[in-house]
This record gives sequence, C-alpha cells and structure tokens, in this order.
Amino acid sequence: MPEVTKQKMERIAQMWNARGSGLITHMALDIEEVSSAGVRVRMPFNPDFCVDKDQTLLHGGILTALLDSVFGLANFVAIDGVSTMATLDLRVDYLRPAYSRADVIVRAHCFRQTRHIAFDAGSIWFDGHEDAEIARGTASFALTRGETGLFGATTEGKAS
Amino acid sequence: MDLQTVNANVSKVPFFRFLDFEVQRLDSLHADAEMTFASRHIGNPVLELYHGGIIASFMEATSAIAVHPEFSDVPAKPINLTVDYLRPATKGPLYASAHVTRKGKRIASVSAISWQTSRDKPVAEGLYHFLLV
Repeated sequence: MPEVTKQKMERIAQMWNARGSGLITHMALDIEEVSSAGVRVRMPFNPDFCVDKDQTLLHGGILTALLDSVFGLANFVAIDGVSTMATLDLRVDYLRPAYSRADVIVRAHCFRQTRHIAFDAGSIWFDGHEDAEIARGTASFALTRGETGLFGATTEGKAS
Repeated sequence: MDLQTVNANVSKVPFFRFLDFEVQRLDSLHADAEMTFASRHIGNPVLELYHGGIIASFMEATSAIAVHPEFSDVPAKPINLTVDYLRPATKGPLYASAHVTRKGKRIASVSAISWQTSRDKPVAEGLYHFLLV
C-alpha cells in the first residue's frame, strides 16, 4: 500500500470534521495518526457513555460504536475509488472492564480488501495503557466501487 | 420484576439515557424495548441513518436486561458480541427484542434482533455473551 499523502490525510480530516451532527461528532473524535499501517484516533472521556452512577465505567456499546466508526476511517485511507460502504458484520471482544476517566485510544486498519469487501481489525485501550487493551474487534464491509470517491462514500453510502 | 421498576433503573444509567429507550415487555429470559430516534444516534448525516454502533449498543442493552432485569447498579457484564447488519435503519423508532438462549451458572448466551417497520424485516441481528459472576 502506498504511503498516505499529506493532501489525502488533510482531506480525510476535513471530511471527518465536516460531519455536522450525529454520533461521531458527539464522540468528539480526534485523528492522531494516519499511515499505511492504519489509523489512530482519540476519544475524550464522556460521562454520557458510562453505565455506573459514579460515571467511571464505559458501556461496551460505545466501544463497539467507536470501532465501527474508526474502521470506516481506515477504509477511506486504505481504499481508493469507493462510492459506498456498509458494515456487513462486526465482532467485538470486551477484554477487561473499561474503568477509567482517561481518553480512549483506538488503532484500526484494513487488513484485506477485495473488489467488493473490506476486512478490518482494531484495538482499544486507555491512553497510556497500551499493554492493557480493553476491547478488540473485527468487521467486514460491503464496498461499491465508483467515481464518487471519498466524500460520496461518507455522505451517500454508509448504512451504519 | 415489574416494568416500571426496570425502566426506573434504566433511567439511572447514563449511557441508557443517551440511547433513550424504554423496556416494553419483560418475561423470563425475554425483553422487548423501543428506542426514540435522536440526532446523536446518526451515523450517516445525509440520509439520517442510525449509526451501526448505536444499533449494536441498543441490542446489547436489551440483551443485558433480558439476562438480568433486576440490576440496580450496573447492567449484566458483557463478554463479547457479533452483529450482522441486514438493512439500513432510518430516522424513527427502533425496536429490539432479546431472548436468552442459555443461562448457565457463569455464562449466558443471548440472541437479539432489531427492526423498524416489521419484525420480518430486521435491521440487525446480534449474539451476545454475558458473564454472570
């Protein structure tokens, strides 16, 4: 896979930040790294995403949502000429209870792409604790090839 | 366990308030719930579709209630999940139904579906495992 150009990365960041509403905006995601090896994204702590009264334990579902979102980003980075993209299936293992108020870090990459399908994998940990992953996930995506390109893929196709 | 008590407990969980759902039916090993659409649930802002992670979270929440409806503090502990996305979910109410396939001493397996217009046209199906100890 060729190195991701600065221009492409800026375009991706711009598109990501331009999504005026919705869950991704609510998660306040910050793209930290984009390279041929994958993407790294930071999600700040948000008490809305907790299950306990003290608001220190994240719900698993938000980690699943985070993986799904960041897989989408990893696909934009890895795949050229995709007009639509939809999550086919998603598997997530919750490796330990997500007790912390630290930021959450996600690393994800598309490890295989065919004409129709992309396969992604990713890991989540609390900032500073990469050796203690809290979740790991894999997913597959149905791709539609076309000329619409990057922006079209985000605005038209993703059915999730 | 009556619905009113369960929904009172649901409303104490911050993330369940974020999802904004109500448990509508509860039997032994079975739960049905309805979620109200909000812009914070959107994955595709142009078509106003639900985010896949929100659908998975809603089915996880409904499954946790089917496993352990009388939770008072933290819902049942999830181990892992698999979700199949079958159709896009559009702006409007979303329903989920969870059935506990097996409840052992330590582990429970739950099968869940979510739909909008009709149960015959599921938006997603999920399998969830919970740790009971």
